[in-house]
Amino acid sequence: MSAPHDDDRLLDHSYDGIQEYDNPMPRWWLYIFWGTIVWGVLFWLNVPGIGVGKGRIADYDASVAAAAADMPAEPSAGPDAAALLAASQDPTAVAAGRTVFGAYCSACHGPDGGGVIGPNLTDAYWIHGGSPEAVYHTVNVGVLEKGMPAWGPTLKPDEVNAVVAYVISLQGTTPAAPKAPEGTMDPPADAPSGDS
Amino acid sequence: MNPQLESFRYDDAIVRKFLWATFLWGLIGMTVGLLIALQLAMPALNFDIAWLSFGRLRPLHTNAVIFAFAGNAFFTGAYYSSQRLLKARMFSDLLSRVHFWGWQLIIVLAAVTLPLGFTQAKEYAELEWPIDILIAVVWVIFAVNFFGTIAKRRERHLYVALWFYIASIVTVAILHIFNNLSVPAGPLKSYSIYAGVQDAFMQWWYGHNAVAFFLTTPFLGLMYYFLPKAADKPIFSYRLSILHFWTIVFLYIWAGPHHLHYTALPEWASTLGMVFSVMLWMPSWGGMINGLLTLRGAWKKVVEDPILKFFVVAITAYGMSTFEGPMLSVRSVNALAHYTDWIIAHVHTGALGWNGFLAFGMIYWLAPRLFQTRLHSMKMAELHFWLATFGIILYVTAIYSAGLTQGLMWRAYDVTGRLEYPAFIETVMRLMPMYWVRVAGGALYLTGMVLFGYNLLKTWQTRPATYEEPVIQAAPLGDYEELAAPRPAGALARFAQAAWHRTWERLPVTFTVMVAVAVIVASLFEIIPTFLIKSNVPTIASVKPYTPLELAGRDIYIREGCFNCHSQMIRPLRYETDRYGEYSKPGEFVYDHPFLWGSRRIGPDLAREGGKYPDLWHVRHMEAPRDIEAKSIMPAYPWMLTNALDFDGIQSRVDAMVMLGVPYGPAVNDAPAMARQQARAIAQSIAAQGGPADLSDKEIVAMVAYLQRLGRDLGAQPAATTVGGQ
Ligand code: HEC
Ligand code: HEC
Repeated sequence: MSAPHDDDRLLDHSYDGIQEYDNPMPRWWLYIFWGTIVWGVLFWLNVPGIGVGKGRIADYDASVAAAAADMPAEPSAGPDAAALLAASQDPTAVAAGRTVFGAYCSACHGPDGGGVIGPNLTDAYWIHGGSPEAVYHTVNVGVLEKGMPAWGPTLKPDEVNAVVAYVISLQGTTPAAPKAPEGTMDPPADAPSGDS
Repeated sequence: MNPQLESFRYDDAIVRKFLWATFLWGLIGMTVGLLIALQLAMPALNFDIAWLSFGRLRPLHTNAVIFAFAGNAFFTGAYYSSQRLLKARMFSDLLSRVHFWGWQLIIVLAAVTLPLGFTQAKEYAELEWPIDILIAVVWVIFAVNFFGTIAKRRERHLYVALWFYIASIVTVAILHIFNNLSVPAGPLKSYSIYAGVQDAFMQWWYGHNAVAFFLTTPFLGLMYYFLPKAADKPIFSYRLSILHFWTIVFLYIWAGPHHLHYTALPEWASTLGMVFSVMLWMPSWGGMINGLLTLRGAWKKVVEDPILKFFVVAITAYGMSTFEGPMLSVRSVNALAHYTDWIIAHVHTGALGWNGFLAFGMIYWLAPRLFQTRLHSMKMAELHFWLATFGIILYVTAIYSAGLTQGLMWRAYDVTGRLEYPAFIETVMRLMPMYWVRVAGGALYLTGMVLFGYNLLKTWQTRPATYEEPVIQAAPLGDYEELAAPRPAGALARFAQAAWHRTWERLPVTFTVMVAVAVIVASLFEIIPTFLIKSNVPTIASVKPYTPLELAGRDIYIREGCFNCHSQMIRPLRYETDRYGEYSKPGEFVYDHPFLWGSRRIGPDLAREGGKYPDLWHVRHMEAPRDIEAKSIMPAYPWMLTNALDFDGIQSRVDAMVMLGVPYGPAVNDAPAMARQQARAIAQSIAAQGGPADLSDKEIVAMVAYLQRLGRDLGAQPAATTVGGQ
């Protein structure tokens, strides 16, 4: 044995040559162990039904309420038709909209808006109306029962505006494999012919 | 004492067998691990082949490393050390062989059935019921052989390594049997007898204790034998051994529900799991302290000897993961880490570091003794050590960052109060560089493994023509005479604390009974309230059983292992409900045999998937996910569009569900016809949306039916959903 461990005392047994010391358990080890036990008992004070804690569902409800109170007031109607039409002719807004469309819409409407699962967005036929406000509304609240998601809660307001502007700008473009028209003829007022 | 010595020989041939099996399955299990790591970074490597796809191979990887690699390593060390610690040859050479070949057969069966999609969908308990029965039989054979050896031992007292073996053998048997209880619905298909919340509880009671009693206690036992042997030092503290052994055995059993924080499991249960996990911290560290302090005065040797280096890293990794485990069990930490790669990093610190390195060190120490020659190359062992160490470091740093990154992205809000990353795929793409680093780390570790095999092979080649089997002599146990050897009085007093334990150590039956009592009592404290308290699972009137077609779809979901990537459990946390919808309620899962809550979100949660997309979306997404989501890492499932659905087979599945008490109504007699009817309706809607013309007899319609059902019952009017129309 090396010097520092002279106080180690070997126990008198040996198993296949393995021996054991009779050292005490390290103090800090014991203290932390007791500490965790005390903590474990105290923690029950936080469990609903047993202690005074409110529990995870109450915490959740509170967090939802707090977030609702914090939510900045939204413009209820969204941008007006003129602003959307103007944006649909603004190359930067359209470019931003194209990015959003590629990320979130092309899976269902095709990369060029020609329609796959969702309808063709390039023709003048619309199921839910082709006016800028109508398109904004469809995109914002979706058509859930038909599989068109609501994008208002997901995308940021700028992104919704941009993608609506982009959709309007698609009017009159010629996609590679257009889906047959659905709905009724309702071109966006003064729709610009495709500058995408 | 009986003066007559008995002569006997140890059975080392069986140890050599287990040693090779350890290496072989380790190599295979880790290679599969590397493949699935690659698949996540490069989904093309799923090859569009069913039995090579991620969802089927991931369980193969986990089962292979846990039960095949770590299991065989435990058997290797246990067969070697038990005989020596008990001064007796194994009870029966025949049972030893049956155990060996039986276990390898189980592994082969697992390696065939898992890729073929036969699974119970419970993590680390995936194997189907006939294999489960075989496991139970082989385990009992092992137990008989082991306890038989104890019965004919020539050493009065049991050494601490044996305590850990006893605890492992007894507890694994209990866990395995009670988690796998199920009703067969075919030769390789069964449904858990538990449903939803209770099934989840049982699964994680099992799952966490598989970690405890398959990967921890057996390896602590191995440490207590091979570390003092290799270091040639006495164990640091006998009293510490006693306390940390019993606290581990008693406390571990409670910890399972910490896997289910914020789920539909009642809060008291997950809290119980949490406080017991925190209390486990020091008992676990007791093992680490006893290991590291045993090396006091031997550190110079550690520098020179790769075997001790392996042991030091193993014990350190054990200490790190048993600190991290309690930390992860704390609710607020868990909210961040759950469902992310953090957990994957955590288990790999344990598996690669603790289990892997302990096995490597042990086998390098054993090889020259078993093959009765010198180790071919110590240098190569040293290189193995460094490769594997850097492999672990690369792996875990990358995957910890991946876990933290994704966890933080999921909960990030922007200034407008919306989720910063509403598209799940953004949180996947960010992980790709880290997934490649993991591949590099895994490759290094595997390279070390190849060196290890080469070194073993070379060592084996220089073995003698016939192995020597030295004759051992020891006296049989006579009648026990109290205080046969008088001890100094002072020491006796000091020793008084542990005297009771000293008595138990010579009474193996008492000892084993005490272990079983500790484990069973602790389990019942949790299990009984979970099953009996009605308010744990408030009934929801609108929740109905799956239609026969949906049930068939659910079985396809199980077969493909979708639950390895998708959770179905939305937690009551605002960033979860904003992303996925209303949080999951316990009553929604009462017909879920087995539960499919999942534990990792490689893809998004699917608990409220129903109605989110049109049918055709799912068809195209299943056929080619990257056509829908260019950056998706989900495997493609084109075979679902061509495989015919086995309508007639659905009846036996419905029947099994009925046996479990699921109220099936008319479907009891008419499942196939009802399924056909629903399938036609879905196929029509797919065609109407512009999809392929007639899919009505293909598996995909069942899959779509199931996905479209998910999560819809909660809001449904009670009359709106009935089983397949009445
Ligand atoms: C999951 C598939 C899916 C995605 C993704 C999707 N849509 Fe749709 N969309 C549909 C479907 C289906 C309809 C048709 C709804 C109906 O029939 O009433 C539709 C309809 C629309 C309409 C109305 C068309 C009309 O004729 O009135 C607009 C505008 C639209 N989507 C825009 C978008 C935009 C912008 C995005 C991306 C932000 C998007 N969609 C993403 C499926 C989708
Ligand atoms: C390798 C992991 C992996 C496996 C296995 C896997 N998925 Fe996915 N899944 C993903 C990822 C990643 C996404 C997100 C990207 C996308 O939409 O493809 C996803 C998305 C989905 C979605 C769309 C969810 C939504 O709301 O947008 C569905 C539905 C889905 N998977 C179903 C399945 C089914 C069914 C299986 C089994 C047959 C399966 N997945 C297997 C990773 C996986």
